[in-house]
Amino acid sequence: MLRLELFKIFSRPRTYISFLIMTAVTFIIQLAMYVDGSSFVSFALQGVGEQFDIQGNILNGYLITYLVLQSLLVHIPLLVALVAGDVLAGEANMGTLRLLLTKPVSRSWVVITKYIASLIYALMLLIWLAIVGLGLSMLIFGTGDLINLKSDSFVMLLEDDILWRYAAAFAFAALAMATVAALSVFLSVFAENSVGPIIGTMGVIVVLTIFTNLELPLFNAVKPYLFTTHMIAWKGFFDAPIPYDAITNSALVLVAYIVLFITATIIIFNKKDILS
Amino acid sequence: MRLTKVLIGCLLVLLTTNTVHAQQDTAAVLFDKLRAKLNNVEDYVADVKVKIDVSFMKVPALTGKMFFKAPDKMKLERNGGISILPKKNMSLSLNSMFPVGDVTVLDAGKKVLEGKEVRVLKVIPDNDATDIVLTKIWVDESRLLALRTETTTKDNGTVKMNLEFGDYIKQGLPDKVTVFLDVKEYKLPKGVTMDYDVSDAGQAKQPATEKSKKGTIEIKYNNYEINKGLSDSIFDEND
Repeated sequence: MLRLELFKIFSRPRTYISFLIMTAVTFIIQLAMYVDGSSFVSFALQGVGEQFDIQGNILNGYLITYLVLQSLLVHIPLLVALVAGDVLAGEANMGTLRLLLTKPVSRSWVVITKYIASLIYALMLLIWLAIVGLGLSMLIFGTGDLINLKSDSFVMLLEDDILWRYAAAFAFAALAMATVAALSVFLSVFAENSVGPIIGTMGVIVVLTIFTNLELPLFNAVKPYLFTTHMIAWKGFFDAPIPYDAITNSALVLVAYIVLFITATIIIFNKKDILS
Repeated sequence: MRLTKVLIGCLLVLLTTNTVHAQQDTAAVLFDKLRAKLNNVEDYVADVKVKIDVSFMKVPALTGKMFFKAPDKMKLERNGGISILPKKNMSLSLNSMFPVGDVTVLDAGKKVLEGKEVRVLKVIPDNDATDIVLTKIWVDESRLLALRTETTTKDNGTVKMNLEFGDYIKQGLPDKVTVFLDVKEYKLPKGVTMDYDVSDAGQAKQPATEKSKKGTIEIKYNNYEINKGLSDSIFDEND
């Protein structure tokens, strides 16, 4: 059944549009940095540059990948939702859901299989991002030490201490995308067409991201409970020292959300009167 | 009686003037000797290990080669890696801590520095255009070495430098230099950096410390190659 779900996902053109969009955005960032990266570096290092001379290959493949990841991890949820939001609602829209449920498998298993298929798609997106983002950036810009600019600190990591951090960051990003996929599947159970869950997922993520990024006391109280706060924990792997406790907590929060969304989806789907 | 008083007065004035003049000369001579010793080193390359301890900077110990060319060119080369040094006008060489050109040297007496008796000189550049306003130098007279400097600048606050000598004591080149400098606050908008806030994930943030506006840079030197004739192009930023 999983093979069938994967066949459905990868036989749709929209699936490949996601890969194209991601490739295009990565190329644009790489091109912009190749042409005018020095201006970006001067601007970004203004605060530190007033006091220190920073020389060397700052604009290397590792920094470009960090920028690509930072930009794309805001947009990848949309691409994940494009597919995950369609898994149940799309079937309902096409009228194939009842037919699907005539198979000798439980409804719970249908939900889990569809979620796993969405997860595999999300993982493939991230692997593609690693290839075009990290691999290509390393080829074009070379490698070197990484400078990570935070709001209150300047972190520098040595070249031989970076690659494993990217592996860990991509692994964490996969967990974050698994959460987005779970939310999309959850919203998908309520809808009869896929537009609703896709827009719903993006709406939830945009609103919660605003909560996460706005520095207001009212929002600070709820921030620790929002999954968007924890989705950016991959950045922790580029800090020194790495806040392992915080990253572990964030991972647990994301896992809790995944379990919550999928369990709720299973319960609702099991009780739902399937009419299409 | 009046004549006697006048004579005694004149004598006192003469004596005081001569004493001050003798002190200034001694201090000036000592400073000139020190500067001449430093000037013997026109350039050097040395293996270095740099430790940066600035509150907002998280930088691992950097190893590389330090290139120096008199009077004030300095570059840390790290085999393609990123190098970080304080701004050029506040570089880490002893030469750059000494005012260039004509100076007024004042003797600030003798003090004990880490168990050694040292002579303290205050050096004021005659040229108002330089960034250096005043340099205090703690001089080990017997070995003709500057063990500590404290340079007050117009734009870069006060920079203190401690020097430890070993194998290259004859050339007046230190084995270890510790620079204490004033640093400005560093802040970028969170909306731009989109930080991962560990406090939201249940981990306590490190509290801000009092010494946040002070920084320390420690450089350990090894394997000096002195006066080999370094080209200016080595110090070009794009190299």
